[in-house]
Amino acid sequence: MAKKVRDSWGSRLGVIMAVAGSAVGLGNFLRFPVQAAQNGGGAFMIPYFIALLLVGIPLMWVEWSIGRYGGGFEHSSGPGVFHSLQEKNRFIKYFGVIGIFGPLVIMIYYTYIESWTLAYSFFALLNKYSGITDQASMQAFLRGFQGLENNQYFSSIAPAYIFFLITFALNMVVLYYGIRGGIEKFCKVALPTLLLFGLILAVRVLCLGAPDAARPDWSIANGLGYLWNPDFSQLRNAKVWLAATGQIFFTLSVGMGVILTYASYLKKGDDVALSGLTAVSMNETAEVIIGASIIIPATFVFFGPMAIGGLASSGAFNLGFVTMPLILGKLPFPEVMGFLWFGLLFLAGVTSSVSMAQPAIAFLEDEFDISREKAVKAFAAVTFILCNGAIFFLGKGVVDELDFWGGTFCLVLFATIEVILFGWVFGINKAWEEVHHGADMRLPRIYKPVIKYVTPVFLLVVLGAWFFQEWLPKIRMDNVPEDQRVYILVTRVVLWLIFLSLAVMVKVAWDRKKKRGVAQ
Amino acid sequence: MTVQGIVFMALSWTFILALSVFCFYKIFSKKDID
Repeated sequence: MAKKVRDSWGSRLGVIMAVAGSAVGLGNFLRFPVQAAQNGGGAFMIPYFIALLLVGIPLMWVEWSIGRYGGGFEHSSGPGVFHSLQEKNRFIKYFGVIGIFGPLVIMIYYTYIESWTLAYSFFALLNKYSGITDQASMQAFLRGFQGLENNQYFSSIAPAYIFFLITFALNMVVLYYGIRGGIEKFCKVALPTLLLFGLILAVRVLCLGAPDAARPDWSIANGLGYLWNPDFSQLRNAKVWLAATGQIFFTLSVGMGVILTYASYLKKGDDVALSGLTAVSMNETAEVIIGASIIIPATFVFFGPMAIGGLASSGAFNLGFVTMPLILGKLPFPEVMGFLWFGLLFLAGVTSSVSMAQPAIAFLEDEFDISREKAVKAFAAVTFILCNGAIFFLGKGVVDELDFWGGTFCLVLFATIEVILFGWVFGINKAWEEVHHGADMRLPRIYKPVIKYVTPVFLLVVLGAWFFQEWLPKIRMDNVPEDQRVYILVTRVVLWLIFLSLAVMVKVAWDRKKKRGVAQ
Repeated sequence: MTVQGIVFMALSWTFILALSVFCFYKIFSKKDID
């Protein structure tokens, strides 16, 4: 049988765009500004940049390096890449299952949320919500669209489901064409486009001044002040430091397993040090410069200092899908502004969701020797069924549960495992050499002890604090309403089944290879 | 917006823009560092 030709990136800029595209997601434009505003404003940036330097950037280099290393052994997903770090260890590959499981779980609900942004960009162009001028009605519009209630705007979930089908199909088409022909081509167009959309919106918002002459203090300068004026007392609060660390994880897509997969398609001599840092810089530009200049300042200008606290604490989705359409409706060319805002979120969503699917597809391709086309079809069939749970049980707390395990817990756990494996099992000296192989820049020496000691200790403390404070209440579902408990329980059973199935698949794949005498 | 707010915003923006300029400058003027 002819040996399969391994997919690879077409250009250096392509892989950087793809990794940055994976990192730039809904969180940059919705989650970050809300987190910053709620956690000390400008002072939030102190723990944020400390976490970026001590956790985010080192983890970015770790994931790029172990991914490229594993790719040299023709492995592109967690189990195979971890196995290649220490081949004699029979168990190490099972830790890698988290690197497939986490992104898969996120993708189950993320694709659905992504489809709302596509729908809303059409609604903006078609003036579907242009007559709505208050929060309650816009909230009803969103709930009607989500199928959570029947009202004058929507009588069923059908429109949302149709947009979900379109979004899901688009994701699968991009994945079907592979790394070079699908993901790279798409990200090379989508990332600059979404940055351009974001820039136009940010400039427009920053030029608002104080649009209501009767309320001169409802100005863009004070809106920026709401976000950036530091409240140093917040730095004594551990919650603020955890929020900043969590934001760094979310925003950079580290600890998911997707960067590891993308980096596995690099060639042995390709740079990872500068490329990883460039992806970080692009993500931070999108988040701190563009993302922070849109939603919070605009909300302040149109709703004022009294209302913004409540609006910011109502959650990122409420701000994005309820408050922003109202604000954009007050600007000249509201259709275009609405289209730019939701179009930007949609592109950011797709570049992220395709990256979440890739580890599972790569796992099927590499470890079961099946073609990319078949792997995408199998992945599409399974995830399509799972997505329906998130769609039809949205109001039952299912999405929050998926987000916690896939998007929070697994991220920190996987990051902790990979940094320990890289710095301690693989060995820091070998690891340091690996990062610098083919590198276009030298890492500051301080990062050697940072990768070996500081990052793992930082992550272990975060994990330990979580276990100490929240493990039991979370497991016991203390904060879950009585009527939602059965749904949460079923979600947990499904998650366990997915995890165990992946672990069994790893065992089967390695047993088959052993039987066939394939060098692992 | 207070002076402290302006300082925090300016420092954050400067850090990120400087990082971006450094990275893209290195990429587009690739030279062998070893």
